[in-house]
Amino acid sequence: MDRAGGNIALKEFLYKIADDLLILGHRNSEWTGIGPLLEEDIAFSSMAQDKIGQSLALYQLLHELGEEDPDKVAFMRKAGEFRNCQLVELPIAEYEFSLVRHFLFDHSIFLRFQELSNSSYHPLAMVAKKLVGELRYHVLHANTFTKKLGTATEESIRRMQAALDEAIPYSLGIFEPSPYEQELIDMGIFSGERLLCQTWEQEVMNIIRQTSLKMPDIDRDQAKTGGRSGIHTEYLQLLLDEMSEVFKLDPGAEW
Amino acid sequence: MIVMAFESLDPRIKRWNLSLQRNEEYQSADLDQLPTYEVFLQMRDGKAYEHAGIVHAATADMAFVFAKEQFSRRYTCTGMWVVLSERVWVTDCMELEENVYDHIVDTSINADGPQEEYEIFHLMKRGKQHKHAGTVGTTGHQQAILQAKTQFDDGTPVLNIWTAKKADISATDAEDQVIWSTLKDKTHREVISYRAGDRLKAFKERQNG
Repeated sequence: MDRAGGNIALKEFLYKIADDLLILGHRNSEWTGIGPLLEEDIAFSSMAQDKIGQSLALYQLLHELGEEDPDKVAFMRKAGEFRNCQLVELPIAEYEFSLVRHFLFDHSIFLRFQELSNSSYHPLAMVAKKLVGELRYHVLHANTFTKKLGTATEESIRRMQAALDEAIPYSLGIFEPSPYEQELIDMGIFSGERLLCQTWEQEVMNIIRQTSLKMPDIDRDQAKTGGRSGIHTEYLQLLLDEMSEVFKLDPGAEW
Repeated sequence: MIVMAFESLDPRIKRWNLSLQRNEEYQSADLDQLPTYEVFLQMRDGKAYEHAGIVHAATADMAFVFAKEQFSRRYTCTGMWVVLSERVWVTDCMELEENVYDHIVDTSINADGPQEEYEIFHLMKRGKQHKHAGTVGTTGHQQAILQAKTQFDDGTPVLNIWTAKKADISATDAEDQVIWSTLKDKTHREVISYRAGDRLKAFKERQNG
């Protein structure tokens, strides 16, 4: 593997993680001010802000590798240039859907960063090591809500179950393999999506088992993939238009 | 039944064309009012835990999750305690310079029962927070205060005392501390980051040439 080829694999890898975090961070921030409880409004908004901060840390790594500066990368690309999975771009819908998505996604990002703490790409390992702590809280939050609403009332169980059934095929899209999967594994940057998906399934099941919810069948053929190669739902461009509206008024402005 | 329709000004709501309806006869006091939990924070290792405020939550676990963002969003801390408000035992509240311990007398309450640990909190000044004074091992809240009187009363007026059974408190352990590890970098959460006065002044000066 020559250095240039390695860089392409690494950049592709960093972009998809960063894009997941930016888009989900923005989506979750749509609950700010209209959350179901004041306390939860604050907690969910803080975590949304954390996710955008996490994406910034990764865009900065990309900048160091020669990519455009983080603001440009975040605000000036079109939907087809984003590498996020489709799960994160879906509308916030009802609160239970946002919670279930947060539960499924955050388990994956927590495990991913735990593993990346030992990545052979040192700058990434440093970022991952640092962010794993705050992600521990995100997962605790997600688990607490899932356990509570997954056991509380007939209505809460029914609604959580429906959200879970809907989100699972999209959540499998998180683990859509990259064309550079083997290079990343060979270089010791990351042990691969397949392995991560297996650990994720176990962790998610550990919590679901403590509730009245039923884990839908994990059928990889049903996975909603495409996001990693720039194929998105209609919702992403609408999100990007709104997110970048102010930035685009004056892209050179100092904030 | 009166059903009122509202039009939201929030673009996030308008976008989805949601119709917001409120049923004015809707009664759900039981569902709307969750119990409260008292939250205590330790600002640095070795410092006493201090009362930070309350959260509403359905369970102690949820109270813990809410309290973390409610009270340690901006300033880092090293530990958090959460306890159901109903489980906190409170003495009378004194006026200035009066020591509540002077009013505590041994009423020889039956002190049989299992020995348990109780946390004692002192309020030293009106408008300040209750601060952890120490732990006593005894058989009930009233006995805990009697114990506290012998151990923690140095004559300085204590206006009010709270006691809570240690077993009733959900507490962070040492390995939970990492949940706060990135907080000191989040300067964007501090009010100073939003100060726009200087920029506004510079803008006005530019405008006026």
